[in-house]
Amino acid sequence: MARTRTTKKLAQRIDLNYFKRPTPLKRAKFWLSLLLPLLALVWIAWRGFSGDHRVYSSGRMSEPHAVLEKECAACHVQKAGTFSAKAADKACLDCHDGPIHHDTQTATRACATCHTEHRGRINIAAASNQACAECHSDLKTNRGAAQYASHIHSFEDGHPEFAVLRPVAGITTSDPGTIKLNHAIHMKPIRRGPNGPAVQLECGNCHNTAAVDADLTYADRKYRAAAVSYKESDEILPVRADTHGPPKPVSGRKLLAPVKFANACAACHLLTFDKRFDAGVPHDKPEAVHAFLVRTFREYVAAHPAEVRIQRDPSRDLTGKPLAPAVRILTPAQWVAERTAEAEDLLWRKTCKQCHTISPSARTSHRKIELRVMRGSDIDKLSGVSAELPDVAPANTTLRWMPHAKFDHGAHDGFTCVSCHAKALTSTEASDILLPGIETCKTCHAPGPEHAESRCFECHTYHDWSKRKEITPKFTLPALRKGGR
Amino acid sequence: MRMDETHRTWSIASSAILAVSIAVYIRYAFESPQGARGGSTIGLTFGVIGFGFMVFAALLGARKRVPTWRVGRAQAWMRGHLWLGFLALPIILFHGGFHFGGALTRVLMWLLIITVSSGVFGAVLQHYIPRVMTSDVPLETIYDEIGNVRSLLREEADRAFESLCGSLGLGRSSSGEVQRAGGFTASRPIAASAVPLRTSAAVSAGASAAVAAAPEIILLGEKESAPLRRFYLDEMRPFLARPKQRGQRLADTDKARAVFSGLRTLLPGAGHATLADLEDICDEARQLTRQERLHHWLHGWLLLHIPLSLALILLGAIHAVVALRY
Repeated sequence: MARTRTTKKLAQRIDLNYFKRPTPLKRAKFWLSLLLPLLALVWIAWRGFSGDHRVYSSGRMSEPHAVLEKECAACHVQKAGTFSAKAADKACLDCHDGPIHHDTQTATRACATCHTEHRGRINIAAASNQACAECHSDLKTNRGAAQYASHIHSFEDGHPEFAVLRPVAGITTSDPGTIKLNHAIHMKPIRRGPNGPAVQLECGNCHNTAAVDADLTYADRKYRAAAVSYKESDEILPVRADTHGPPKPVSGRKLLAPVKFANACAACHLLTFDKRFDAGVPHDKPEAVHAFLVRTFREYVAAHPAEVRIQRDPSRDLTGKPLAPAVRILTPAQWVAERTAEAEDLLWRKTCKQCHTISPSARTSHRKIELRVMRGSDIDKLSGVSAELPDVAPANTTLRWMPHAKFDHGAHDGFTCVSCHAKALTSTEASDILLPGIETCKTCHAPGPEHAESRCFECHTYHDWSKRKEITPKFTLPALRKGGR
Repeated sequence: MRMDETHRTWSIASSAILAVSIAVYIRYAFESPQGARGGSTIGLTFGVIGFGFMVFAALLGARKRVPTWRVGRAQAWMRGHLWLGFLALPIILFHGGFHFGGALTRVLMWLLIITVSSGVFGAVLQHYIPRVMTSDVPLETIYDEIGNVRSLLREEADRAFESLCGSLGLGRSSSGEVQRAGGFTASRPIAASAVPLRTSAAVSAGASAAVAAAPEIILLGEKESAPLRRFYLDEMRPFLARPKQRGQRLADTDKARAVFSGLRTLLPGAGHATLADLEDICDEARQLTRQERLHHWLHGWLLLHIPLSLALILLGAIHAVVALRY
C-alpha cells in the first residue's frame, strides 16, 4: 500500500524557524545588493578623485570642442555663491564671435539654442530646422512685414521656389546677362571647328570652377597672354550687400568661374578684321580695338606704300550706290582711316555684335566716324576717338544666382551638368535662366537616411560674417590642459 | 504575481500615462530646436517622473521588510511596482531623447534597461511557473526546508529497507526516536522489535495508532533480499543523498519505473508493499529536485534585478544632482 501524506505530517517535518536561516539564494541576494551599489559609488568616487569629470558629461562633445572634453570648467563657469555652473553664451563668445543674423530680427537666441553640445561627434554648426523655423515659420521683423517668404518650416515645407525662378507680377524673370549665347546650338554637334569638322562641345569646355584649371581645348594662347583693359567688375554683377557669406574662405570649387573669351571662345570665334592680316583684333574695349586697328594699318601702310593706290573692285559695285572712281590714290592717313572704318564696321556690325550687345554711342554714330574718316582726319586724332566709338553693354554675368544660399558645384562633381541644368540643351535665348528649380534639388535633398542632407544649414548661413568682430584670446594652452585659462 | 484581471485598473492607468507621454514627447521633440534634451523643462519633467517611478518601485523592498506599515496592501504595492517600474523605461528614454549621453548616463540607461527587462522576465516567470509548480510538484514543500526533508526521506527509506531486508550495516545506531519524512514517528527500533512491525503502507493507511491490525514483520532472507540490497545501496541511497548528480537512473521517472518493475519480479510478493514505499520516496525526491529547479527560475532573476535596481537608484540620485548643477 502506497504512502499517504497528511497536512499534519507534512507540517511536522518543517522546522518552524526555517525563515531565520539564510539560504544561499538569500545570502547571494544580500551581498550582491550591498556590493553593486558599493561598486557604483567606488566608480564615481574614483573618477571624481582622479579629476576626470567626464563621467558626468551628458555626452561626447563635437569634433571642434573635443579638446575641451576633460575641461568642463572651460565652458561651465560657476558664478560665485551659486550652485549652478551652466554653460553661458559668454563661454562661447570667448573663443569665437557670433554676429547677429539680421539687423531686423526680432529676437536673439542663446548660442546653445542652435548649437547644442554633448551630442556626440556631430557638426555643431549644423542647426536644426526647428531652430530656423522658430522665426521663419512666422517671420516678423522689427521694421514691419518681412520682404522674404514668411512661412518656411523646412526645405520640404514652405520653402518657395528659388527667387530668380519665381515670376514677378506674372512675368518670368530673365537673365540680366547681355552676352548673346545660344546654348542649344553650342550643345549640338558643330560642323566646323578650329581643328577639323564635327565638334561636340562639353559643358566643361567652357564652364569650370575657379579652382580647376580651365579647359583650353578651345582657347587661344595669344588671347590668354594678352592684357585687357576691362576688369572683372565690368563683366560680373556685384553680389547683393545683404548676402551672408560663409564664415571661412570658399574653396574655389563652389561657384563656376565666369566664362572667358580667351579660354573658351577664341578658337572658334575669330576676331579677324581684314584679309591682309591673319590675327584678329584684341578682345577688349572698343577704344582698345580702335587703337589697335589704327596702329596695325599705319604699320602696314608704312611697310606697303603701294597700297595707297586703290583700284575699284568691279564685283563690289552695288546697284543704287554712287560708284567710286576706278582708281584712287590716298594719303597714308586717308588709307589708314578708310581701312580702320571698314574694319570697325565689320566688327561692330557683325563680329562683336554676334555675342555682344552693341549700341551707338550716345554722343556719336558710325556714320559720323565714317564721314570724318572720309574727310581725311588726322591719324593721331583718329586713334583717340573713343567718344565716337559704340557702346558695348556690360556682360552682367551673374556669378551667384542664389545670393542668400550657398551651393557647392565641387560637391556635385559626380553628376553630369545637364542632369540638373537640363534646360541648357534646349535654351536658345541668352535671357533664359538655366538654374535648376527647387524640385531638382529635392530629388536628392530630402529627409531620411536614403537622401542627402536637406536641413537649412546645408544652403544657408545664419551669422552675418561681414559683421564679425575679432575676439581677444583668453586661453593659454598649458593652463587649458590643466582645466584653467 | 499572476497577471490577471485584478491588474485592469493599473494597466489602463499605465497605458494612459504612456499614451500621454508619447504624445507630449512627439510634439516636444518635433518642435524643440535642439531636439529632445534632458535639461529642457519637458525633459526635466520626464526625468523627475521617471525617477519617481523608479523610487516607488524600489520602495517595494522596504514595504516587504516592514509588513506592519499601514501604507496600502502589499498586493497594491506589487502591482504599482510592476506597472510604474515598467513605465519608468519609456519615460526615461523620453527624458534623454533616446540619447544615452555620457559615461554616467550611459551606465544609468543600461542599468535601467537591464533592471526593467529582468523585471519583465521575472513577471512572466512569476505568472507561469506557479502553475507549472502546481502540476509538476504536487508534493511541494517549503524551499528552505528541501534539504531537511530530503534527509528525512533518506532516513525513511532506510527504515523501510531495514524492515524488509534487515540492518543496512552502516554502523549507525538504530535506536532512538526517528522522525519519518512523512511525519510518522517510529517509537521503536525496527530491527530489534519483538512485536510485528507495521509497514509504512499500513501506517499510511491508518495514519494513527488506531490502525487496523498490522501485518506481521516479514524479513526476507539474505538471498531473497540480495537484489534489493544491491539496488538500494548502489543506486537509491546515493540518489537520495545527491539527487542532482547526473547519470542516475532514478532521476528519470520512466527509468525509475522500469527499475522498480524489474525489482518487483525479483522479490517475493511480501516485499512489494515496501518496494512501493521506496518508489514513492524516490518520486518525492525527484519532485523536490524539480521544485528546486523551478524555484531557481522563479527567484534567480532577483539576483540581477534587486542589486542593479539599488545601484540604479543610487547613481540616478547622483545624476540628478550633477545634472541640475551643469
